Amino acid sequence: MKKLWREFIKGIWTENPIFFIVLGLCPTLAVSTSVNNAVGMGVAVIFVLVCSNVIISMMRNIIPDKIRIPCYIVVIASFVGIVEMAMKAYAPALDKALGVYVPLIVVNCIILGRAEAFASKNPVIASLIDGLGMGVGFFLALFVISAVREVLGSGKFAGFAIPVTFEPAAILVLAPGALLVLGLLMGGIRWIKSLRS
Amino acid sequence: MDKVLAILIANIITNNYILFKFMGLCPFLGVSKQTKPAISMGLAVIFVLLISGIMTWIIYAYVILPFHIEYMRTVVFILIIASSVQFIEMMILKVSPVLYKALGIYLPLITTNCIVLGVTVINTEDFFAAGKPIAWSFAYSVLQVFAAGLGFMLVLLLMSGIRERLALTDTPESLDGLPIAFIVASIMGLAFMGLLGIK
Amino acid sequence: MADKYIVSSSPHFVGKESIPSIMWTVNIALLPAGIIGIAVFGKAGFWLVAACILTAMATEYVIQKGRRQPITVSDGSAFMTGLLLAFNLPAYCPLWVGAFGSFFAIAICKQAFGGLGRNIFNPALAGRAFLMAAWPKYLTVFNKPFVYDAVTQATPLGLLKEGKAHSVVDMGLTYWDLFLGNKSGCLGEVCIFALLLGGIYLLYKKIITWHIPISFILTVAVFTQIFKGDYLFNILSGGLVLGAVFMATDYVTSPITKIGQVIFGVLCGLLTSVIRIWGGYPEGVCYAILIANATVPLIDRFVKPRRYGVGI
Repeated sequence: MKKLWREFIKGIWTENPIFFIVLGLCPTLAVSTSVNNAVGMGVAVIFVLVCSNVIISMMRNIIPDKIRIPCYIVVIASFVGIVEMAMKAYAPALDKALGVYVPLIVVNCIILGRAEAFASKNPVIASLIDGLGMGVGFFLALFVISAVREVLGSGKFAGFAIPVTFEPAAILVLAPGALLVLGLLMGGIRWIKSLRS
Repeated sequence: MDKVLAILIANIITNNYILFKFMGLCPFLGVSKQTKPAISMGLAVIFVLLISGIMTWIIYAYVILPFHIEYMRTVVFILIIASSVQFIEMMILKVSPVLYKALGIYLPLITTNCIVLGVTVINTEDFFAAGKPIAWSFAYSVLQVFAAGLGFMLVLLLMSGIRERLALTDTPESLDGLPIAFIVASIMGLAFMGLLGIK
Repeated sequence: MADKYIVSSSPHFVGKESIPSIMWTVNIALLPAGIIGIAVFGKAGFWLVAACILTAMATEYVIQKGRRQPITVSDGSAFMTGLLLAFNLPAYCPLWVGAFGSFFAIAICKQAFGGLGRNIFNPALAGRAFLMAAWPKYLTVFNKPFVYDAVTQATPLGLLKEGKAHSVVDMGLTYWDLFLGNKSGCLGEVCIFALLLGGIYLLYKKIITWHIPISFILTVAVFTQIFKGDYLFNILSGGLVLGAVFMATDYVTSPITKIGQVIFGVLCGLLTSVIRIWGGYPEGVCYAILIANATVPLIDRFVKPRRYGVGI
């Protein structure tokens, strides 16, 4: 039980996919203009990551070593297809806002990375927990970045205007602002980590 | 003619895939530490983009659309990309071992480079309407993948030069490496925004 | 001679110039343009300059103190960054906007890269581009000269871009107005005469060489003459002279070799002309220099200085 807890917690802090391993940046930066988009993307990634980790872990002894990567990609792409269809049917506005970045979950390096590094070598339960931990870590990082960008960049939180006494800096909801926020947050988190050790 | 120019400028500069769409960031950060590998990576990406751009257009127009299996787009495209990367790798190995030595290690990485899947998916949205290719659809698609590749290479090259220089300076420890690279990319994006609205 | 020859690893011959002396010389060269800018736009301009300079120096002090580094606030480089940023803003832009730009310029564009001499982009220009993306409404409104009140008026280049005027006569101006500063625009860019005076002083002091300014201005002249047919108007309007003389020539962010500098100047000129003629913004000097800054490491890599004693 303790081991499983450690698998879960590592994805959230010590091996956070965005801030420390630096994977899956493309959706992180592109959809973090608002908290709503970020939550949508975060949930979609958690779903795909957990499902693909479980399936790949189940099949880890059947998949031949040589063609494992294409096999993983097909598994991941199928789950992304499910997400795409579900989103189009039940959340068309979100689907429109996320646009091309939904199909791009297929090539989100976090998912393939966990398949290769963890699910292909570990039993099903551990893989599920690993996927959940990494997914939640991704979700939280995305949430923080999008909150910073939306509050400071457009003076809103999750679409609701907040009573602000400053003028929002439009740059933060533009693309260069995304890179700037990520760079500074990453530097800040490293700094906190260095203070602790 | 106007549209050709608009596609070129948007894809290379004002809508650059790295700086404004964040596609291809992983290889961008991975191989932008030195200029030589950056050039090789850029060429490899342009090559893969062209082949997959052509292949995905043909499959989308003549297989996916006629059979109404649009929901298979993502799976089919990623398979096409993965297999064309594999094919290009084998072909280069046969034709030019020298080139293979230069590009070889970068090719497999490109499969999971979001720029390839991204541009090909965007092509199907930009140049197809109501289930049919628009006029000049194929030519525009090829132009778009080519321009996207050029833009990728341009930014990769600029970044590699800058990071070679940054390697010699004493940036604050917590900003060293990736964070400062993001800041550089951010300022570069700000500068590129000056060319917005060109016509 | 004796006190200049130091037995140590190279360099052996140490010139009189030091970083502070160079920086303060540039600041002096900027003085005439600053005085005339304040004379044209009134005391709002003075407060803007003060806010930018003070924030820049305070930011530098705090960061160097925090990193336990030697404090170099008095070397004049932070002063210059603040001054140049203020020169590139409309005089009536709110003080907090200018201060924020100064903070960004020093903290992110200079100190985050390791401090003086390590930055890739010109800090003042990067600060301006940041403000332009963050609060565009304060950077796109300009004021009428010699009114000393917030009466707005479009810049000559702005009128041209919007198609409201097609020649200097249409704007009710003469070339002398453009040359001496009787026009709307950013604080420090209006008086071409004062800027040229400063440029000549820098050339005389051998702080800058002709390569970048001349190739930059000449390229813009040729290009705009071909496509717009009024080279003189294009030289005398906007921030071209300020950018070409004082900002493109920044040692740290321009190439080392003479050939490299000419390539750099031509690139700046090309980009400026493209933005002015076809772009969305009326003026492109700031963006052109920033993009060219990004190419400097590559230019330096491919245009190497000749090694002493090798080849001719």
